[in-house]
Parts: sequence; structure tokens; C-alpha cells
Amino acid sequence: MRSSIRAAVIVALTIGVAITPFVMTDRYILRILTFVGINLIMVAGLSLLFGYAGQISLGQAAFYGLGAYTSGYLAKAGVPWLLALVGGVAVAAIGGLLIALPSLRLKGHYLAMATLGFGEIMLFFFTETESVTGGSNGLRGIPAASIGPLEFATPVAKYFLVWSVVGIVLVLAANIVRRRPGRALRAIHGSETGAQACGIDTVRVKIQVFVLSAGLGGLAGVLYAHYVGFVSPSTFTLHYSLILVTMVALGGMGSLGGAVAGTVLLTLLPYVDAIIPGLPRSTVELIQDWTNDIYGMVLILVMLFMPRGLAGWATSLVTRFGERDRAGDSVGQGGGA
Amino acid sequence: MSMLSVRGVTKRFGGVTAVDDVSFEVFEGTIHAVIGPNGAGKSTAFNVMTGFDRPDAGSVVFEGATITGMRPHRIVRLGVVRTFQNTMLFDEMTALENVLVGMHARTRVGFLGAALSLPGVHAEERLAREQAHRILRLVDMDDVHAVPAGDLPHGQRRLLEIARALATEPRIMLLDEPAAGLNNVETAQLGETLRRIRDTGVTVVIVEHDMGLVMEVSDEIVVLNEGRKIAEGPPLLIQKDPAVIEAYLGEETPDA
Ligand SMILES: Nc1ncnc2c1ncn2[C@@H]1O[C@H](COP(=O)(O)OP(=O)(O)OP(=O)(O)O)[C@@H](O)[C@H]1O
Ligand SMILES: [Mg+2]
Repeated sequence: MRSSIRAAVIVALTIGVAITPFVMTDRYILRILTFVGINLIMVAGLSLLFGYAGQISLGQAAFYGLGAYTSGYLAKAGVPWLLALVGGVAVAAIGGLLIALPSLRLKGHYLAMATLGFGEIMLFFFTETESVTGGSNGLRGIPAASIGPLEFATPVAKYFLVWSVVGIVLVLAANIVRRRPGRALRAIHGSETGAQACGIDTVRVKIQVFVLSAGLGGLAGVLYAHYVGFVSPSTFTLHYSLILVTMVALGGMGSLGGAVAGTVLLTLLPYVDAIIPGLPRSTVELIQDWTNDIYGMVLILVMLFMPRGLAGWATSLVTRFGERDRAGDSVGQGGGA
Repeated sequence: MSMLSVRGVTKRFGGVTAVDDVSFEVFEGTIHAVIGPNGAGKSTAFNVMTGFDRPDAGSVVFEGATITGMRPHRIVRLGVVRTFQNTMLFDEMTALENVLVGMHARTRVGFLGAALSLPGVHAEERLAREQAHRILRLVDMDDVHAVPAGDLPHGQRRLLEIARALATEPRIMLLDEPAAGLNNVETAQLGETLRRIRDTGVTVVIVEHDMGLVMEVSDEIVVLNEGRKIAEGPPLLIQKDPAVIEAYLGEETPDA
């Protein structure tokens, strides 16, 4: 019952994503939706790390930046895009490994502080190493993505490139969460002691998922750099890292689908006027003026009143309908993706 | 030769010597009880035996290999598993998933394999789920396989932790107060379950305050008091041991 609803939703969304560029000629909306896709890749990684394994990272923006700068720099130097992409992901993943090795032995607040500090250090690095990053002026003239003769230069082509990657990433992440490694992540979240008592090398698994989330952050950064053609430090701030955490929390811990919903909602929030055309001017201004405050409020309200986020809310809805249809048919699907 | 031997283990916490030069041997195929008043050092001894605490002196040897200093997950992989005085279940996960996590060390699929659905992933998952259902049936809990552990009643939580431990395919199981909080019927069933587990070839060590259960199921008993071993032997001798009766005086009598 639940799994068939889930399948229907996934199919509908996929079709929607695929036909949007053909029915939506507005370039601006296409641009917004491409950013939704880039955020989804970021959040897929953070969802595994934070939503599933319960390990907070306030430094995801740094991996985004590492991917963006590395790949932008390499592509400008004439390296083919696919290689630049591999380089960007690798540097971000290695950065993740270097920060994970010392700090994942830390718990709770200490991990938050360590990742926050790492983010700030990287931001300083992006700003100060002018010869490589262009300093506060940023890195300009990054070429569009291309694979051999195939160039992703138009907004529609870029849209499809990003969303193809989103599709792949979400399928792979969904495969992870419903199998053994996903259960290990949730076990670590539930009780680290209990996980050890089950034979899980918790330090190793935490490092693996941290590196994975850093690599996905790097991947999103690569796509971003070649999408806008320009990167500057102001993109890779603590502010962005906090928004990503809010997206996962709003979606619901331990739910990939929830994280997707949270990401879409919060990414679209500042662009309500473009998405919902008829909205009164005053409402739009109110939302845009208060966007950051709304993000903060959402995080606090979700933590206080909706600990299971959108996913928990959806599950209880479906369960209620399901019980009316046929009582007691609980699907032991697991994963909660 | 004994299966597990505790050799001169001492563990201090600041000024408190929780375990004081304790030695004992556990033989294969037996149920071995560790008893003693509150604060005697039983749980600490378990922590040392399973890698959750490092001893200040002494060692623990399992089937000829020294396991002191190893990390807990490595000890589990050797075949030494434990449960906790305060259950350490994964509350957000279903009963079935809890048991599946117990099978972690006996299964292989990693991040890459799972992500790419490499050949063998489906087969392993299906086998693991079948096996997990079988283990749940062993403790009579298959009907609640889809219920989150956090929603289960106390007695079933205790059983689920045992089931999860069984899923690691242990050679020896250390259970810390498995009967705590159980009613008489549940305790009697637990005794049955423990014997069934022993009969499948798994050696059992229990820390337990329920003397009825201890005297009924155990082959051998070690008594700790204030960190020291004060007696050891079969149930009938322990019940009459003056040092044991003395230690329990003012608390409860061992044959209560
Ligand atoms: N992590 C710790 N830090 C400090 N002291 C500890 C710690 N763990 C145990 N102790 C102390 O060590 C002593 C033995 O504790 P332990 O938990 O091993 O006793 P126990 O025999 O399991 O008791 P109970 O029957 O109440 O469970 C107690 O005095 C306890 O306060
Ligand atoms: Mg204890």
C-alpha cells in the first residue's frame, strides 16, 4: 500500500521534471529549478550523514566550494569537464576525509563545532588565496560543462544535465538507505553503543558517510560552477550550510523523500512570486524580506513541534488512509525513504 | 580448556575499584551466572569482557586469543556478544530491522555495492531477511516484526535485544540482567529461551538479580561483592555459602 503510493509519486515527479522545460518557456523559472536540483544533490549527501546517521555537519558549504573552485580552476586551465568534475569531487572527498578522521571521534556539539570551524577556515582560504581562487572577486569565465563534442551551454541543456545527476544520485542514495549500509547508519543514530554491540565499526562507517556526503557536496559544487560560470566566496558561507541542515530537518530525519520535499520547499521560498504568479505583492515582499528569518523559524519550529518533519507527517496521513482501506496490512519495507 | 577466561582483571574509576583482581573461567556449552549486590562490579566486568571498558590490569582470553584492548565490534566478530542492563535498541527501527543490524558482521554489502545494486545484493538481502524472521520466531516475536522497537512493551524489548545478539551468530552471549522488569510468566519463558539458546551450542553468561532464575538455569555461579570475587561454584553450593549469605544480608537472600 505505502510502497505503491511512493512509486506513483516518484513516477509523477520524474515525468514532471522531464516535461517542465518543454511546457515552461520562462528562463527564470528554469534557472530556479536548476538550483533546486543542485541543492538536492547537496541535501542527498547531508541526509545520509545527518538525517540517517545523526552526525551533524555545519560545514557542507565548504565541500560545495572545494568542488566548485577545483573544477572551475581545472576547466579554465583546459582540463576536460569530466576530468575537472572528478577532480572537484575528489578534492572535496579528501577534504571530508581529513576533517572526518580527527573529528568523528568527537560527539554531538564537538562535531558541530569542528565542521563549523572547518567551513570558516575554508571560507578564509577561498578569499585569501587570490592566485588560485580569484579572492573576493571570485573565479570568472568558467566554461560550461561538456562531454566531448556535447556542450551543455543552453539553459535547457544545463537543466537536463543537473537533473540527470539528481536522478542518479537519488537512486543510488535510496539504494543505500534500504540496504545494510543504510541500516548501519540508522543504528549509529539510534544507539552508537548498540551499533558497536552488533559488530558495526562505527568510526569507520561514520568516516565513510562523511566522505560520501563531502563528495556529493563537491559534485553539486562542480555543477554549480559550470552552471553559473563564476564562483565567489560569498556562496560558500555558514549561512548556506545552515539552510541545508534546515532542509533535512524539515523533511524529517531518516527520510530521503522528506529531505527532497524540504529542499524543494525551502529553495523555492524566496522565489514564490515566480512559482505562484497570482500572489499579492505585499505577501511576496513579506516573504522575501523575511526569508532568512523564516528559515530560522522553520528550523526551531520543526525541532520543537515536528521532530519527524514532513516525512513523519506524510507517513501518518498515509497510514490513516491505509488503515481505512485494509486494516493491519503493514508493509515491512523499511528504510523509510 | 575454558572458552572464555577472565584473568586478574582490575578496573578502577577514580577512587572506586569497580572490579578488583577478578578471575574466572567459562566453559563451552554452559550457562554461567555472575551475581552480587548492587554496585558489585558485574556490569563493569561485562564491559571489560566485551571491549567497552579497558581494564587497568589483567586480561580476557577468548578461545586462546587475548581480546582485552580490542574494540567492541572486533570482539563481536570473534563471537562474543552482549546485551545491556539498559537495553540499547534502535528505537526508530522495526523489530526486524534491529535483528538485521545484528547480522551486520555476517553480511557483506557495502556503500558501493548497495548504491549500484551489484549482483548478489538482492540475494544477500533476501537471505538476511529470511534469517531475521527465523530469529524473531525463535523468541516468538515474528508477529511484531514491523513494529518500531521504541513502541514495544518492556518484556519484548528485552527479548528483541537477545534476538539481535543471536543474529550476530555468537559463540558466547553475555546477558546483563535479562529478567529485569519482567513479570513471573515472562521470566519463566526467558529461562526456557536461555536453555534453548544453550542447546543450540551458544554458551551463555548472565548477570542477574532474580535468584529463582539464576538457581534454575545456571551450571556455575560466580559471586562478586565490592569488586572482588567472593565465591564460585554450582548453584547448590553457592546457596549455602556463608560469604555469599553475608554479602547479601540486609539486601535479599540468594535463595529468595
Ligand atoms: N563509568 C563509570 N564511572 C564511574 N564509576 C563507575 C562507572 N561504571 C561503574 N562505576 C562504579 O563502579 C561500581 C560497580 O558498578 P557496576 O555497574 O559494575 O555494578 P553492578 O554490579 O553492575 O551493579 P548493578 O547490580 O546495580 O547493576 C559502582 O560503584 C559504580 O558506581
Ligand atoms: Mg549492572
